[in-house]
Amino acid sequence: MADNKESKETKFKDLVSYSEPALRNNASIVEYCRTSMSALSGCTAGILGLTGLYGFAFYIFSVFVLWGLILFKAGHLWQKYFLNRHSLLTGGFFSGLFTYVLFWTYPFFKIIISYI
Amino acid sequence: MISLNKQIFFLGILSLVHAAYSAAQHRSYLRITEQTFDGLPFDILMQGIVSLGMSMYGILYSAGDFKEIRAMEDLGLKTLETLHNTPSFYIFNHRGKSRNWLNLKNSKNTTVHYIWVKNHIVL
Repeated sequence: MADNKESKETKFKDLVSYSEPALRNNASIVEYCRTSMSALSGCTAGILGLTGLYGFAFYIFSVFVLWGLILFKAGHLWQKYFLNRHSLLTGGFFSGLFTYVLFWTYPFFKIIISYI
Repeated sequence: MISLNKQIFFLGILSLVHAAYSAAQHRSYLRITEQTFDGLPFDILMQGIVSLGMSMYGILYSAGDFKEIRAMEDLGLKTLETLHNTPSFYIFNHRGKSRNWLNLKNSKNTTVHYIWVKNHIVL
């Protein structure tokens, strides 16, 4: 009896179906946060006057911070909301980098900084 | 009332703008005193990074809640009645409508009639 129940449970665990709307919802939230994070960290890097490789290091730092924040929001049961953790870190890295560079080198801050 | 997460976001943005103003002031001070720029002071640097973290937190928490991706979790909460429920096939024109149940309400066994009415007429 106990064996039968156990085998049923393991069978049930092997067969996992994912709901696509939920997956898309989570992916769109992460994408939104990533774009906003790129823009904001680009602004911050421009304000702090980072140049060269320090700016790119700051981008990588902020990507890691966002990753940590997402995992913090998901809690200890991140498997409930995402298929894997590393795609949260690496997904959309370069598209975020372009947004970052746009805001990093945005002339607005340079103008403000040079005229105040 | 704006939610707490949005308040944190706006506070972060304000703090970032303040950090930008401080950085600009520092640069103008350096230019006036004819010194070379070699990095911002530590407090402005920290204010920038902390306000960035605050606004990131605010954005992440105001973006919406994550949804459970396993389909079984969502379906497991529903009963078989919910799955078999077909609102398009509800029928309101049945024999209960023609019964004068208001008169039945005044008779002795009111509770029985009430239950009957509840189950058969008022859907």
